[in-house]
Amino acid sequence: MRNITYCEALNEAMLQEMERDSNIFVYGIGVPDHVGVFGSTVGLLKKFGKERCFDTPISEDAMTGFGLGAAINKMRPIHVHIRVDFLLLAINQLANMISCYRYGTGGTLKVPLVIRAVVGRGWGQSFQHSKSMFSTFAHIPGLKVVLPTTPKDAKGLLIAAIRDDNPVILIEHRWLYWQVGDVPEEPYSIPIGEANILKKGKDITIVATSWMNVEAVKAADVLEKIGISVEVVDPRTIAPLNDEIIIKSVKKTGHCIIADNDWVDFGVSAEIATKIYEKCFGVLKSPIERIGFAHTPCPTARHLENCFYPNAVTIIRSVEKKLGLEPMDLTGESFYSHENRFKGPF
Amino acid sequence: MRKKFFEQMLLIRLFEEKIEELFTQGILFGTTHACIGQEAVAVGITQAMNEGDIITSNHRGHGHFIASTDDVDGLMAELMGKATGICAGRSGSQHLCKGDFYANGITGGMTAVATGMALAEKLKKSERIVISFFGDGALGEGVLYESLNMASLWKLPIVYVLENNYYAMSTHISCGVAGSMIDRAKAFGIEAQELNTNDVEVIYSSFEKIADGVRKQSRPHFLVINTYRQCGHSKSDDCNYRTREEEIGWKDKDPLTILGARLDKDVKNSIREKCASRIESAVEKASKADFPKIDSIYEGLFQ
Repeated sequence: MRNITYCEALNEAMLQEMERDSNIFVYGIGVPDHVGVFGSTVGLLKKFGKERCFDTPISEDAMTGFGLGAAINKMRPIHVHIRVDFLLLAINQLANMISCYRYGTGGTLKVPLVIRAVVGRGWGQSFQHSKSMFSTFAHIPGLKVVLPTTPKDAKGLLIAAIRDDNPVILIEHRWLYWQVGDVPEEPYSIPIGEANILKKGKDITIVATSWMNVEAVKAADVLEKIGISVEVVDPRTIAPLNDEIIIKSVKKTGHCIIADNDWVDFGVSAEIATKIYEKCFGVLKSPIERIGFAHTPCPTARHLENCFYPNAVTIIRSVEKKLGLEPMDLTGESFYSHENRFKGPF
Repeated sequence: MRKKFFEQMLLIRLFEEKIEELFTQGILFGTTHACIGQEAVAVGITQAMNEGDIITSNHRGHGHFIASTDDVDGLMAELMGKATGICAGRSGSQHLCKGDFYANGITGGMTAVATGMALAEKLKKSERIVISFFGDGALGEGVLYESLNMASLWKLPIVYVLENNYYAMSTHISCGVAGSMIDRAKAFGIEAQELNTNDVEVIYSSFEKIADGVRKQSRPHFLVINTYRQCGHSKSDDCNYRTREEEIGWKDKDPLTILGARLDKDVKNSIREKCASRIESAVEKASKADFPKIDSIYEGLFQ
């Protein structure tokens, strides 16, 4: 057992892979600076030098196309964005270029490009510094989209992404950076496209993405006290989506709530719900419930922000409603609140 | 060399004229953008490259492609959507990729990709350089300036070749481009040069010097070549936005006329026969080839 943070796990993944393969380089705005993308790239400059760990102008569009060029020219770039929101400036490169090259050449070109992007919730980050946009990227054929939740997944999935010959977007929630867990010291990879059961249960299935898994596990722990057994399933990869474990779980429990760390409408929850309806029709004991952000841009004021984001309490109340239970007394329970913890810089 | 230049330019010209003809017969898929009148740029530059140098091209890329790969058969099959096409019928005219040749259909989109390729060559400490072709329309795209900035900051071995054919679709440069083209590159500290010619031999010798400097000193260069698209922007463009007088004026500066004046009639005739027969043979082979299998549609999305 060796417990490290999610952030340290990301860092270790890059460090070990860059030691293994000299064609890997990491770049992006602020990557080599003193903060090192919230600590995830710290030490890489010192270890590998400025040829393999470098800062860039604020030019997301060109920087992303630049990564494509380096990738199809035999390098293995890792491009880091401190916010998912900024990655949207490169949507042309993602949707028109990066996603198409392998397919468009009849499978001859390889595009081993990793794009890491951070969901920057909290601290009144508001509507241009806190987006998730999971389904936007997952909607585009030719891109793999991975959302690691645990420190172990962070290292294993980042290593898998780096070794993958296809473009992979890895979206990391800022609050997950503080999660601590057992992470093997040696390099290892977790297959992209494999879900994970974070907590076993039999009464209801909660499928959650990214940070919402932490809230879902918390909700499951609380509900356990009143005898409700919740199974929490983390798809981990949303494109390509492998629904095997999700379907198996819903067939067992008959109830499902999908808690996405994103907007509900046209989102990942809609896709997963459809898969469940297609494959579990007749088995479901209640309609699928979806939980996600309020369908507005994210507001700044704290009390509005709290209303915008669902949490463990939202999940607990949904489970109670679905199973016909009286609302339990949550006095004395402590829930996650990192709003005051993430104070920048950036 | 002179005969080779003429042969390549004529091959491109006859190929694109054949494409026009096949289009009217409904044999081809998608749209195409011909480079009739601009062949000297494609041939002059690609012939002055070294083996292994990388080319990125744009939607108007048949000329660049033929001049650098000589694969008329593969291109014809691709335009017919055949499995034997260079991209297995998936790319059509605009996204041609083969070996060290990469094109795409988003204006200016490849300038960033080319810049990343140049960085890869620098990291590999190779002798290879990247040549990125784009048109005057790309001057409107911000990604070009982001790319020039990086190439200059990081001293990347790349030549940006701006083929100014005066029109971005139907928009004349006087309506789309403010100030001087080469000054835009100079503002980034990039050496820049302008050529006012359709003479393939002049382009060739100028580019030899440019490529040599870029290769030896690992730095970017920006080359503007003023040429003219004699045909429309794409299939179905009748060029109502310009005068017939203007078009006739440029006919005199046709690259084949310029170089043709330096060759014997017999030589030209035999080259013409050779090119025409290669194109006929390409059409014949591509016509007989199979379309991609329907159940192959999902193949190759991921490795």
